[in-house]
Amino acid sequence: MTEKLKQLYKTQILKHAQNPFNEGKLEAYTHLIKAYNPVCGDQFDLYINIVDQRVIEASFTGYGCAISKASTSVLAKHILGKNKAEIAVFVADFLKLLDPNGPQPLEEITSDEELMAFAAAREFPERLSCANLAWLALVKELFPD
Amino acid sequence: MESLKSEFPIFANAEKEGRTFIYFDSASSTQKPQSVIDAITEYYGGYYANVGRGLYWPATQASNEYAKARDKVRNFVGAKSAKEVIFTSGTTDAINKVANAVLLPTLEADDQVLVSEMEHHSNFVPWQQACIQKGADLKVIPLTTAHTIDLAALKATLNSKVKFVAITAVSNTLGTKNDIKIIVRLAHAVGALVLVDASQLTLSERIDVQKLDCDFLTFSAHKLFGPTGIGILYGKQALLERAIPFSYGGGMVALVNQDETTFADLPAKHEAGTPNIAGAIGLGAAIDFVESIGVAQIAKHNAALRTYTVHLLNQIEGVNLLAEDAGDASILSFTMEGIHPHDIATFLAEKGIAVRAGHHCTQPLLKSMGLPATVRLSFSVYNDQREIEQLKTALEEIKSFFG
Repeated sequence: MTEKLKQLYKTQILKHAQNPFNEGKLEAYTHLIKAYNPVCGDQFDLYINIVDQRVIEASFTGYGCAISKASTSVLAKHILGKNKAEIAVFVADFLKLLDPNGPQPLEEITSDEELMAFAAAREFPERLSCANLAWLALVKELFPD
Repeated sequence: MESLKSEFPIFANAEKEGRTFIYFDSASSTQKPQSVIDAITEYYGGYYANVGRGLYWPATQASNEYAKARDKVRNFVGAKSAKEVIFTSGTTDAINKVANAVLLPTLEADDQVLVSEMEHHSNFVPWQQACIQKGADLKVIPLTTAHTIDLAALKATLNSKVKFVAITAVSNTLGTKNDIKIIVRLAHAVGALVLVDASQLTLSERIDVQKLDCDFLTFSAHKLFGPTGIGILYGKQALLERAIPFSYGGGMVALVNQDETTFADLPAKHEAGTPNIAGAIGLGAAIDFVESIGVAQIAKHNAALRTYTVHLLNQIEGVNLLAEDAGDASILSFTMEGIHPHDIATFLAEKGIAVRAGHHCTQPLLKSMGLPATVRLSFSVYNDQREIEQLKTALEEIKSFFG
C-alpha cells in the first residue's frame, strides 16, 4: 500500500468501521437488502427507504471486517438523496475505484477521500469481496437485470 | 528439533527474491520438501507411463512405484493389507465415496447418522445430504467446554437406529483431539460403522487403524507434505468388499460382457480410471519424509511452538486464545478484541506472514461458540520460535494501528 492509501485506510475506513453511519434498523423502509459473503461469513442487512424516487433514509445492521463494514457504512451515507439513475453512476464509480485495472490517478474517479480510501482493495484482490459486498447486493436489488 | 526449513525450497526461493515468508497455514496445506518434488519430477521425467497395463520398462517401473506407495500408506496407518488402502483424490472425495457407496444403499428412513459439532464441512455435508435423500436423521453431537466431543452426549444419543458415525480426530479450527478409540467402541456397541476424518491427525500421532478399530479412515496427502489431488481411504477389507464400486470404468473390472460385469478385486475395484500416479508416488515420498523424522518428533516440535505462541500472545491485551489448553496440538485459533480476523490476516499478509482467517469450513462449530470467524495459526516442521516472535510484534503493531 502507498503511504497515502495507508493513511486513508487508517483515517477513513477505520473511522467508518468504528463509528459507522446510521447503524441500526429503519422503522419504515422500501428495501431490505441482504448482503452475505459465504466465503468469510460477513453479513449485513441494508435498509433503504425510497420516497418519490429518492433515498430519504438508509441504515444497516450486521457483522463483518473493517473493510466490509466501512464500505457498507459509506454506501448508506452516500446514497442519501440519490435517485436510481444517480445511484447507478455512483456505484459504477465506486467499483472502478476497487478495480486494479481501474483509472489512475484516483482523483479521476472521485475527490472524496472517504471513497478513495477503498482503492486500498486494489492491492488486496482477496479483499475485493469485502469492499464490494453491500454494493453488489444493492445493484442486484435495484437493478435486477 | 531444529527447523527443517532448508528442506523446503519455497523458503530459500522467497529469500532469494527478497520476500519475507512465514507460513502459519499448514493445517490448510503444508509446504513441500525437495524430496517430494523430486519424486514427482523423476516419475514424469524418468519413467513415465500408465500403470497396470503396459509391458515395457517404464510401465513396469511406474506400476512398481505406485504399488510401493500404497504399501507405504499401509504401513503408515497400520492396515493389515494393502487391499485396505484406496487412493482417492482427497479426504472430501473419500468421504463422499463412503457416503454414496457404503451408507446410501443401506440407509433407510428413520435411520440415524451421527456427526459432531466440530466437523469440517466435508465431513458434514455428505452425511447431511444422504440423510435428506433417504429421510434419515442427522444428529450432531455437541462438544464439551474443552471443545472435544461430549462422550456422555454421544453415549446418550447412540441407539440401534444409528447406522453410521462420522467424526474428525482433530478439530481443524481449534486443534482439540477426540478420543477415537472410545468413540469407535461405543458406536460398535450399537452396530454402527465409524469413519474417522484423520486430516489433522496424520502429523499429530502415529495412526494405528487396528488399534483404533475404526471402519474407515481418511486423510489428504497435501496436509502431510505430499501433493494435492491425492488422498487415502482406509477401509476394513470386508466392508470394502461388500461396498458397491465407488465408480465404474476402466481398471476396476475383471470381465465385461454386454449384460454384466465382474469387478476386480480390492483395491482396484474402487479405483476406476487412470489413477493419480504422480500423486501417489509423491505421497509415498512424503511418507518417507515423515518417517525419516518420526511422527512423534514432528508432533512434539509443533506442540512446543504452540505452547510458545500461547505464552507470547497471552502477553498482548485483547487477544483471546481459543482452546488454549489443547497443548499437544499444532493448531491455535484466536480473536482480537475489536479487530476482525480478516483485517488481522490482511495486515499479517502485508508483512509476509501467512495465516488463515474465517470460519475454516466449520460454520456449525463457530456458530456454537458465537464467533463468526477466527484467525488460525498452524505450525509445522519449517517454523521456529523466531517466527512466532515476529508474529507477536506484528500483532502489536496491528493493535496500535486499529486502536
